[in-house]
Amino acid sequence: MSRGREFLVGLVIIVAVAVAVVGTLWLQGTNFGRPTRTVEALMLSAGQLDEGNPVTYRGVRIGTVASITVEPSGDAIRVTMLLTDPVELPPDPAVVLGPESLFGDWQAEIVSVARFPRFSFYDVPPDASTSAGVPGPLLGGYALPEITRLTASAEQISGNLADLTDRLELTFNDETAANLTAAIGNVEAITEDLRALVEQQSAVAASITANADSALLEVEQAAIAARRSFDRVDGLLADEQIDSIVTNMRVASAGIRDLAADLSDPEDGLAVTLDRADSALARVDRIAARLEAGEGSLGRLLTDSTLAVRTEEVLRSLDFLLQDVRENPGRYVRLSIF
Amino acid sequence: MAAPTAYVESVGRTAVTSVSAVGRAGFLGVDALRALRKASLWGPHLLGQMARVGVDSVPIALFIATFTGIVLALQASYTFTGAVPLYFVGALVGKTMILELGPVLTGLALSGRVGANIAAEIGTMRVTEQIDALETLAYDPVAYLIVPRILAGAIMFPMIVVLANAIGILAGLGASLALLDLSALQFMRGVRLFFEPFDVRFSMIKAMTFGITVTSVGCAFGYQTRGGAEGVGRSTTRAVVISSMIILVLDAFWAAVLLR
Repeated sequence: MSRGREFLVGLVIIVAVAVAVVGTLWLQGTNFGRPTRTVEALMLSAGQLDEGNPVTYRGVRIGTVASITVEPSGDAIRVTMLLTDPVELPPDPAVVLGPESLFGDWQAEIVSVARFPRFSFYDVPPDASTSAGVPGPLLGGYALPEITRLTASAEQISGNLADLTDRLELTFNDETAANLTAAIGNVEAITEDLRALVEQQSAVAASITANADSALLEVEQAAIAARRSFDRVDGLLADEQIDSIVTNMRVASAGIRDLAADLSDPEDGLAVTLDRADSALARVDRIAARLEAGEGSLGRLLTDSTLAVRTEEVLRSLDFLLQDVRENPGRYVRLSIF
Repeated sequence: MAAPTAYVESVGRTAVTSVSAVGRAGFLGVDALRALRKASLWGPHLLGQMARVGVDSVPIALFIATFTGIVLALQASYTFTGAVPLYFVGALVGKTMILELGPVLTGLALSGRVGANIAAEIGTMRVTEQIDALETLAYDPVAYLIVPRILAGAIMFPMIVVLANAIGILAGLGASLALLDLSALQFMRGVRLFFEPFDVRFSMIKAMTFGITVTSVGCAFGYQTRGGAEGVGRSTTRAVVISSMIILVLDAFWAAVLLR
């Protein structure tokens, strides 16, 4: 076999191996000797993130996910990212894991916590440290819900809707439809009534408005009259007539005060008059007592009915006599000239 | 008119022949494994066989891969238009070339070229009693003729397939740049999107088994050739057909075993 053939065989093998190795590393996104730095993040779940997935910052790929491991305590996972671009991270960096596209793998995006206040980033313990030999920072991370979870939620919602629909079908039968139709009719009638009421109330409101207008007019007129009265008062005050009235009032008050003093005078005042009236009443009281006791003519007249009856009989006889005299005067009067 | 029993006899003869061939192939495989110990016999011929099986097959393999990559890119673009982002053309070309079309098309092409060549060469040696002469000279014909060819196929087929995969992807990239509204970065983004290092290993495993299959079947049919020149032609045809069928069966087998 010639050396040329041997060379060709060796060349094919070397080229094939080189293509396989370099191509695999390149398609994996391996950084061929460029300076890199490592950033680690702790989070509760890795979602669909896998090693080799891109790490982005503001939408630009700046590295790859180097490894994903579960913490020894089991309460978090640690994502180690290899950053190839020398970018300065935000002052409050965090990592959000999410789908790169609708069809693609997931990615780890370095973000500012302030941009996503609703995300519950993993609270990195103060004593947590990066892996051995990794000098980079340790960030908190958050994995977006996976599409399977969203699908499961949607499936649950659809199931609930199906149950609700079934219940509606059970509830909404012919009778319900008839009742609903009647209810709609009632609502229509109520609407008509309301419309009539509104029209009526509108008319009343118009009347009230008119009355209010007239009231306002009267108020305005009253205000004008009041203004005039105030003007007159001002005039009176200006003409000093009030002063004379006040003076008269002061004189009248003095007279009343004098009268009150006279009435309160012990010599010839109201007290003397009251004493006299008191004695007079006492005297009347005594007379009334004697009348009640039947003393005297008037007392006996009041207390003895016999006297009253005989007096009445005398009066009746006298009345009869007067009537007979009137009818027969000749019986009692005799005129003779001679 | 043949007697009815003749058909039954034909079926029986065919069955016995097939089972005998499989049995002889099995014995030949066992002999080949035993012959691996005789490196002094097959070692000097290995490089030459690698050149014949591998280097000489590179042009046809790359030719097939080039046009496969172009067609894949265009068909992907035609399929994805308006529905899927165009950079998925790169994903489809890369994934399909590495996982499927690179190994299978290369294996089928080389089964025609390499398998037929081996079957014809060894079959001719059989009918011209050159193999009998080797045995007379106390040479192990299996170690001398079969082992270096099978090893060459096992070694060189993965190399050829790696190159074919790379050329196919590059051809798809060229077609995307020239014929599609797609940039190189977009295309490579698609290639990288779903790429896994396992894909390359899977492709090379398949290629190695295809190489072993093509060379083994060629050697087996050539080694069992009977009936002069006509027998050589028959063995060559059968070697190509059987090796192609086994390649497709192995393709499904590895997909079922390694991709599940």
